Amino acid sequence: MEAAKEKEVLQLVTFRLGQEEFSLDILKVQEIIRHMELTRVPRTPDFVEGVINLRGRVIPVLDLRKRFGLPGAEDTSATRIIVVEVSGVTVGLKVDGVSEVLRINADTVEPPPALVTNIESDYIKGVGKLDNRLLILLDVSKILSRSEKDALGKVVV
Amino acid sequence: MSLNEMDDIINDFIVEAGETLDGLDRKFLALEKSPRDATLLNDIFRSMHTIKGAAGFLGFQQMVEVSHVAEDVLNRLRKGEMVADAAIMDALLHSVDMVKRLLRNIKDKNSAQENIEPITNALKAVLAHAPHKAQDAAKPSVATPSDAKESQEATLRDKETSLRVDIERLDAVLNLAGELVLSRNRLLRLGSKVHESRLDDALSSQLGEALASLDLVTSDLQLAVMKMRMQPIAKVFNRFPRMVRDLARQHNKEIELVVTGQETELDKTVIEEIGDPLVHLIRNAVDHGMEETGERASKGKPRTGTIRLSASQEGRNILVSVSDDGRGMDPSLIKRSAMDKGLISAGEAEALSAREALNLIFIPGFSTAKKVSNLSGRGVGMDVVKTNISRINGSIGIESEPGKGTKIEFRLPLTLAIIQALTVEVNGEVYGIPLSTVVENIRIRTDEIKTVNGKEVIHLRNRVFPVMRLGSLVSASEVQRDSAWKYIVIAGIGERSFGLLVDKLNGQEEIVMKSMGEYLKGTEGIAGACITGDGNVILILDVAGLLEALARTYAY
Repeated sequence: MEAAKEKEVLQLVTFRLGQEEFSLDILKVQEIIRHMELTRVPRTPDFVEGVINLRGRVIPVLDLRKRFGLPGAEDTSATRIIVVEVSGVTVGLKVDGVSEVLRINADTVEPPPALVTNIESDYIKGVGKLDNRLLILLDVSKILSRSEKDALGKVVV
Repeated sequence: MSLNEMDDIINDFIVEAGETLDGLDRKFLALEKSPRDATLLNDIFRSMHTIKGAAGFLGFQQMVEVSHVAEDVLNRLRKGEMVADAAIMDALLHSVDMVKRLLRNIKDKNSAQENIEPITNALKAVLAHAPHKAQDAAKPSVATPSDAKESQEATLRDKETSLRVDIERLDAVLNLAGELVLSRNRLLRLGSKVHESRLDDALSSQLGEALASLDLVTSDLQLAVMKMRMQPIAKVFNRFPRMVRDLARQHNKEIELVVTGQETELDKTVIEEIGDPLVHLIRNAVDHGMEETGERASKGKPRTGTIRLSASQEGRNILVSVSDDGRGMDPSLIKRSAMDKGLISAGEAEALSAREALNLIFIPGFSTAKKVSNLSGRGVGMDVVKTNISRINGSIGIESEPGKGTKIEFRLPLTLAIIQALTVEVNGEVYGIPLSTVVENIRIRTDEIKTVNGKEVIHLRNRVFPVMRLGSLVSASEVQRDSAWKYIVIAGIGERSFGLLVDKLNGQEEIVMKSMGEYLKGTEGIAGACITGDGNVILILDVAGLLEALARTYAY
């Protein structure tokens, strides 16, 4: 198990939320699109921005800032929607901007320390070291987790 | 032969034998009317022979035994050595039923053994009573290889003009065609912009031509794909002649079923949904609608009652109706029955018109049958029929005249993929309401909304409707707009309806309903979303869900 991990290389999509840099496993990312006009969906949590038309499919878009309890920000020309798919659920995640695709060795990823960032450690899979940068790896399935969906159900009438 | 190949062959057999058997039912009934029709007899004989051959090839022994004896009887019939009477027909029809049951067992892979003796014995008895060659029937039945070969050749010939395609693949094509339509719309808009900008006249007119042809081909493609999902309604209608015959015999009534328009085509999903409601209506017609033969004679009606089952297309709708020339329904009897059951008050009954009284039969718990038979009359039924039809965006109409008969008509959409919606605007946002749930739209002044016990209501022609403000429903805080005029959409399902207050009515649109995906599934009040021609997303309201929410908050 350990030996396999040493050779494993992770490909990550990195993006910005405010001053911080986060990353997602590229295998979970379906595509990255520009921010487009949304249709608001009533009676959903405030982090659900609305739904968009993705080539004939209707998918929800979550504002990742609001999802993590960060203050909201104006959309800019750098704003992107990262479309992720986890166990059959397709969702768009709105971020301030997408930076690059990186390859790092899986063994440089460490479990999340208690206080590394403003967001809750529950959503963090680990922290990767790259030269002198710290990369926060997000756990997509936690972002779309069951408890969140239950909370979603409660907000509804 | 690998296991997989064998599975494929068996699956093909199940589908083909199923179709052959459905056809047999119909042919047998035709035979009952003209028992000496040699072409028909040969046809039936061949069908049975095909089933026996294929079953023998695949080693389904019980099926071989039943079909073999049935084939023997049919052979004698077609050679004119016997003539089919009611008893022989019963025996043969039972054998078809048995083969169907055996086929279902094969399909379910439950390897259950059926008791086929009574069926084969009945057929053997038929053979024994025949003038001669009775001993032939006792011969053990084994399908010879040549039987199997012959049947396979027959099926190969049948396959030439059609192809079985998985419905999921078809839906994938339908979705892609839908996306193509949206891309085309975007291109058309870009094209007209290029045209307006007049950068290069020659190029822009060439682009215009190319777009026009793309436009045409795309529309044709969408239509063609939608047609692939269409099936003739005969698929449902075919089982009824047999059902009516059996029911009529059971009740000692003489009934003829006249079927028209069975070539009318409907979306596969609609076809699948209307089977059960139709079974119910036809059973009702036979059981309650039709008088006993003696009663008919004393009323001066023809001895044989007629049930008409018809389908036809009217614009974008398909009409399917079941009518009988039986005793009809008496509105005053229906009212009394509903009062006895506590479904309506005496005052309410008084106010109902004859037509409204007939519609009482759709209320849950209603049944006028004096006795409960094994067919119908348990008081669950018509409301289920109505629910099933509403689910596929259809509506039901009922006409009846005491002594003359009853006609019940379904108005169904051609396809479920496209629905009609009313688009409304509130706080600058557009929402769609399925047109099948919209009763009417009225323009009101905001001061016409009254408050009763702290709840907003509106009076409309002596009825009081609770009012729901769509604005406050979809937003945390309603943007108050000081326009004197507002619009109320009266929407509802069945007997329950309410008024939905909106800022503006935009119009009627054809929409393709889509789900909002797993993540937002279950958002109350929203049935789904649709993509408009310009690529925007509009949410479609779920009227049933809103009614539930209304019931909770307003105790409606």
